[in-house]
Amino acid sequence: MKPFDPRIIRTVPEARGPLLALGTAGAASGAATIATAFALTGVVVAIARGTGLRAPLAWLAAIFVVRALLAAVTEYVAARAGAAVSTALRRRLLAAWAGAPHTGSDSSATRLTLATAGATSIEPYVARYLPALIAAAVVPAAAVAALIFVDWPSALVVILTLPLLPLFAALIGRTTAEQTQKRWRALADLSGHFLDVVRGLPTLVNYGRARKQLPVIADVNERNRAATMGTLRLAFLSTGALELLATISVAIVAVLCGVRLAHGTMPLDTAMLAILLAPEAYWPVRRVGQEFHSAADGVLAFDQIADAIDAASATNSPGGSQSFTVRMSDVTYCYPGAEGAVLQGVSLASDAGLTALTGPSGVGKTTLLEIIAGLRAPDAGTVLAPACHLVTQRPFLPTGTLGRLLALGNDAEPAAQWAALRAVGLDGFVAALPDGLATRIGDDGFGLSAGQRARIGLARGLLAPESVILLDEPTAHLDAESAELAHSAIVDLATRRCVIAVTHRPELVALADQHIDLSAPEIAGAARHTTRSAGPR
Amino acid sequence: MTTGPDLRTVRVTPALVRAGLVGGLALASGIALTATSGWLIVRASEMPIILTLLMAIVGVRAFGMARPVLRYVERLLTHDAALNDLAQQRVRTYDALIPLTPARLGSRGRADLLTGVVDDLDDIIGAQIRVTVPGISALVAWGLTSAIITAFDARVGAAIALLGFAVAAISALALRLESAGMPSLTAARAEVNRVADLLTSQAGEIAAIGAGPAVLADLDAAQSNWRAALLRQARGRAVAAGSILLAVGATTLFVAQTLVGEARHTPAVAALLVLTPVATADALTPLAEAARALARARGSAQRLGAVLAQEPAVAATRHTPDQQEPAHNGAPDIALRAVSARWSDDRPLALRELDLDLPAGTHLSLSGPNGSGKSTLLAVLARHLDPASGRYAVAGADALAEPLDGSRGRIAIVDDSPHLFASTLRENLRFAAPGSDDDSLIEALHRAGLRPWLDGLVDGLDTRLGTGGRGVSGGERARIALARAILSQRPIILLDEPVAHLDAPTARAVIGDLVSASQGRTLVMVSHREDGHDAFAESSVLPPQTTGQR
Repeated sequence: MKPFDPRIIRTVPEARGPLLALGTAGAASGAATIATAFALTGVVVAIARGTGLRAPLAWLAAIFVVRALLAAVTEYVAARAGAAVSTALRRRLLAAWAGAPHTGSDSSATRLTLATAGATSIEPYVARYLPALIAAAVVPAAAVAALIFVDWPSALVVILTLPLLPLFAALIGRTTAEQTQKRWRALADLSGHFLDVVRGLPTLVNYGRARKQLPVIADVNERNRAATMGTLRLAFLSTGALELLATISVAIVAVLCGVRLAHGTMPLDTAMLAILLAPEAYWPVRRVGQEFHSAADGVLAFDQIADAIDAASATNSPGGSQSFTVRMSDVTYCYPGAEGAVLQGVSLASDAGLTALTGPSGVGKTTLLEIIAGLRAPDAGTVLAPACHLVTQRPFLPTGTLGRLLALGNDAEPAAQWAALRAVGLDGFVAALPDGLATRIGDDGFGLSAGQRARIGLARGLLAPESVILLDEPTAHLDAESAELAHSAIVDLATRRCVIAVTHRPELVALADQHIDLSAPEIAGAARHTTRSAGPR
Repeated sequence: MTTGPDLRTVRVTPALVRAGLVGGLALASGIALTATSGWLIVRASEMPIILTLLMAIVGVRAFGMARPVLRYVERLLTHDAALNDLAQQRVRTYDALIPLTPARLGSRGRADLLTGVVDDLDDIIGAQIRVTVPGISALVAWGLTSAIITAFDARVGAAIALLGFAVAAISALALRLESAGMPSLTAARAEVNRVADLLTSQAGEIAAIGAGPAVLADLDAAQSNWRAALLRQARGRAVAAGSILLAVGATTLFVAQTLVGEARHTPAVAALLVLTPVATADALTPLAEAARALARARGSAQRLGAVLAQEPAVAATRHTPDQQEPAHNGAPDIALRAVSARWSDDRPLALRELDLDLPAGTHLSLSGPNGSGKSTLLAVLARHLDPASGRYAVAGADALAEPLDGSRGRIAIVDDSPHLFASTLRENLRFAAPGSDDDSLIEALHRAGLRPWLDGLVDGLDTRLGTGGRGVSGGERARIALARAILSQRPIILLDEPVAHLDAPTARAVIGDLVSASQGRTLVMVSHREDGHDAFAESSVLPPQTTGQR
């Protein structure tokens, strides 16, 4: 493990200020710690000898006040730096993912773990580990320098034993790094397992198998406990060993001082200063060891986050123009891990107006729309399309008010929202709600029926500013009457936009300007072009 | 038996007391090490016979060795106890969520649920490591030090005792300040996690509608709230950290002032006494940190408690034993009389005074406009939701009086968003009928119209599905759910929009297969689509918002 990864500054430049403040406060605290040893020696010697106490006490009081101030400042600055780094990293990571097409290389549960727990685990790394690291860099050096000045034989002991600690720590670090990696994976699996089981709870309850998962959860937890205890045993043993090493070294200094004192070859104040300064050379290194295991997760998470940001930024797809044409030629797509291609040499041309896309289930209609929308990158072939708005089968409906859900991806005014709701036949339903557009909807459209969810998604499609609107089974959940209304809204939209709709509804196909059957032997090239009712406006 | 998780933040168990005692001895060794060293140096400077120093030399060595060893033991004991407890409480938390499923889970959101279960519980259990054991350790070390020092000098002993009270008071203040900032911090964190969940689990849907900038703006707002809340708390911590050092400084000054110019103690003992407050501070400062952890754990406990305190939508759900294998002795007659239902007390009735007869073996398809209560009707039939009024009779008896596992064990449900677990295809089917062999799994897949799909899978039943596994289309997902229902051999199958994602010929074929495989079973299908309705012996339309007759 690297003591400090300079990539933090590069990845999160805005953390430079807080980190610099943290370093300054840490160095000042270190200096104040050394000063305390001097002041305390003055007080102890004054009392032992019965000499004047006023001056040493005044010094000690002043130093404690300074240390108190520095402790307060460090606490605040460390929290600020930790929060700055973790939130900036999370923002960058999620923004990078949001802009990249899905590659299917990692699951959303893994991503969520990295973006939430992973980014948060960098906070202790910055707020606790880095201050410890700064103290380790400053305090031992200052202590040794002071010792050389005060009593060189003690300094020699410290100089000879001190390098053993980082050496030890490095050896231990190498052993635990592997273990930590394993543990992080185990934790990610565990968190994924929990999410999976909790999301599957309704299904499990249906089959009376929810309680059957209890032993599985217990088993996963037990494995996690065993893995964690294994890592911890090693980590605690290593900090214990470091502490023992430090204690023995301080004892050597103390014994030498004692012997020289007893022979009268050393004054009391020098000896007292030496035994108070010697531990200061060791404890900061020990504290680094102690903070090590709380920081190790953060370091690993940081590496993964920085890599993920780099990877996602590299695959970022450029946005298109505002044209009304979609061209697709010879596109082939194969799901990651799947054997056969879903789409094989598919070509398609669509302009302003309504294009109906049909074909049996599993022929790749949804995949085709996702490729046009830039959500998936084709394995072969070219796609030419402007920015698209894709109304998915399960529209994106996060917790929020109806008005906010309708405004996602557009900046429509309430009047336009009402018009869109009217067009899909939901205006009556929304008007009857006590809070109207301000009614809060649960996660994933909880509280709405499947048909209402679909129609909210369609209404949002009507409001979208994009010139190409893709609809995936827009009316599958609707009864005949609602579907008819929705179909006329789609036809109306097609007078202003290029609309491509995947559908099983013959009624919608009949209304289309162009019908493409994906199961036909030669696709798109041979597609029938019916009469065009309207061009782009 | 269902018992909720233990959400107490400070729990004193024998294992934790053991760890705390060992930790207290470790801290006391550290204090003794500093104090004895001071005594030794001053005494040695008086050039006594070396023998008089021997005791102290042995003491220094023993204390020096004891501290790291005892601390190692303490940390192992603490973490082992806490991790054991965590495993137990996780299971209990999950167990307590079961009765709240599915009707009580949606309104809080999945990201919240994950945070609630994993993070909050981690914080609550973590309090054992960060609060209980450090608290006991500090108490032990403080008590020992005060008592021993009092034997030397009552005034200094009192000063050490007072220092302990001062640090405790500062910690209590820190707890106050920390707790005051906790609700806004918890809310900010939950919001950040919720938005992060949206951005990861629904990345495609967000990009599809160009909502990325809008959701990232939500993230920015949530994170800026989070940072503000963190800094508010940091201010409290800064005050605490500074105050503790001031208290230590004041105590040292007091002790030095008290001893100066007195001949009561030898110079060596005086040195020991002067050094003790600084050494004791090392044992007491963890209390401020503990206060911080306690505040966080309390916030978590409150939040998790609120989730688990919800009333289940089905009265009989609490304290049901593990489900027995249901006895499949044919489908019973089912009758609903004037049944009304609502999802929660503050929502309007979703189903109004419905009468419905389902004699054994009925195949009924129900259609009706959106919002006519079809899904609510299925939830009542499935006993996921208790009716608000009316009578639900199974084989002539009140269904609500029957044990829940009995009712539910007869019913298989296929809804419009079945969940695929991150596991193999085999395990994704077999939980519906444990003990099934591969042949019956394959047969069920064939009957659900998945033969070509299955043939295309290189790994067959070992194919991994769900999170991290192979993606499946909406149609395939629905058919896997059908295969589960077929496999379960339950006498009643409730289908909630099962073929919404299938093309017309396939939907008809699947439903045809299902119907012919279900002779003697009761089938109730709710669908907007016309495809497949003709395969059912009876169809009926639920009128919107009615006092309905069939």
